[in-house]
Amino acid sequence: MTTAQLDKMRLELRRGVLVLAVLGSLKQPHYGYSLRKQLQDGGIDIDEGTLYPLIRRLADQGLLDSEWQQGEGRERRYYQLSELGTTLLAQLTDEWQHLNSALATLLGGATEEKQ
Amino acid sequence: MELVKRYIAAVQRELPDTKRDEIGRELHANIMDQLDALQEQKGLLTDFDIAAVLKSMGHPRAVAEQFVPPQPLISQSYMRLYKHTLFMVLGILFLLQVVDSTSAWLSSQMGLIGYLHSLASGFIEDVVLAFTSITVAFWMMSRYSPAQDRKYQQNWQPELLPEAGPGWQHIPLQDIFTDLATYLFLLIVIWHPLWLSQEQLEASRFLLTDSAHQWLKWASPLPLLGIANSLWQLRQRLWNKQMLIANVLLNAAFGIAILLLATVDPLLNLDPGAWQRVFELHQLERAAVTGLVITAMFPLWEVLRDILRLRKG
Repeated sequence: MTTAQLDKMRLELRRGVLVLAVLGSLKQPHYGYSLRKQLQDGGIDIDEGTLYPLIRRLADQGLLDSEWQQGEGRERRYYQLSELGTTLLAQLTDEWQHLNSALATLLGGATEEKQ
Repeated sequence: MELVKRYIAAVQRELPDTKRDEIGRELHANIMDQLDALQEQKGLLTDFDIAAVLKSMGHPRAVAEQFVPPQPLISQSYMRLYKHTLFMVLGILFLLQVVDSTSAWLSSQMGLIGYLHSLASGFIEDVVLAFTSITVAFWMMSRYSPAQDRKYQQNWQPELLPEAGPGWQHIPLQDIFTDLATYLFLLIVIWHPLWLSQEQLEASRFLLTDSAHQWLKWASPLPLLGIANSLWQLRQRLWNKQMLIANVLLNAAFGIAILLLATVDPLLNLDPGAWQRVFELHQLERAAVTGLVITAMFPLWEVLRDILRLRKG
């Protein structure tokens, strides 16, 4: 497999997971940079050019509430899960856990076969 | 901070008017937060540091596309229909232009270069108008009724799918549109004098004699039936017994009509003076008759094909 193919598949794999990670992080209010920092500290590296538009799209879908606030001499837009976003996050978390345990079995089996 | 302003302005240029201010404001706040964090680590920032941060954000156009993903002019659900409509209309226009330019060529002293020029320029003129009109119509359909396809995809039942038959049972969309284009072309050629003025009629010279043209007029219900048959096929997209019988009858009628047209004498309405040094008129007449006989073989072949399919089915 070429590096380009690997990058493409990795991108596809990460796309859905990033939405879950962002929704999970926004149980608490965050502005763009602080959210990116929180994700980075949690081990998920996402570039700004992807993260900021993603937050806006989720807000446009009604999953996030947002509010401009003044802080440290600068205005910032804070985002937090909306009611709809909270419900969706709970459902997605269940789905993720189900997938995760199924994949662990499958990938575990594949690793054993390889050995 | 000049670089930041330039970057945000470059992103905003790629955004729709309604989103420019809001996204620009938010992007500015986010970039300033990043620069503040960097300044805490490194001290005073140089233009080089700022440029590195902006570069890591991505090209302004790519960032703008992430914020507002571009919408295709024609939605994916209409793309196939759009392509086939273009193919059909442009095909008809090309054939009409061939007829028009050839009639003008035969009734004047125009040379071969003049003929080719008239053919190309007339076709390009028609194509520009047709292409624009069709694209605008499909753009409006994509914009105002994009959900139709989704509804269609939701309301289906596996039990209602047709039985898996032989490969020929599926009617390709391209075949239906080719037939539709042919029937429309025939109707336009037969009835085009209706929308010509008296002056235009006198100036133009129809390729066929009056008696041959009269015969075509009598046969014009056939292309109308053909259009109805094609629309029926468009609705079903699968051959069944009734459709095969209808196709056999229609193609048999077409084959016979073309062969009968070949018996009309004289067939061609040519200016003897214009052709004197090129061909003998009887040679052209014979070539036209042969051409019609060969053309009649196509519907007759379809008759044979569909009879065999009926027997197998």
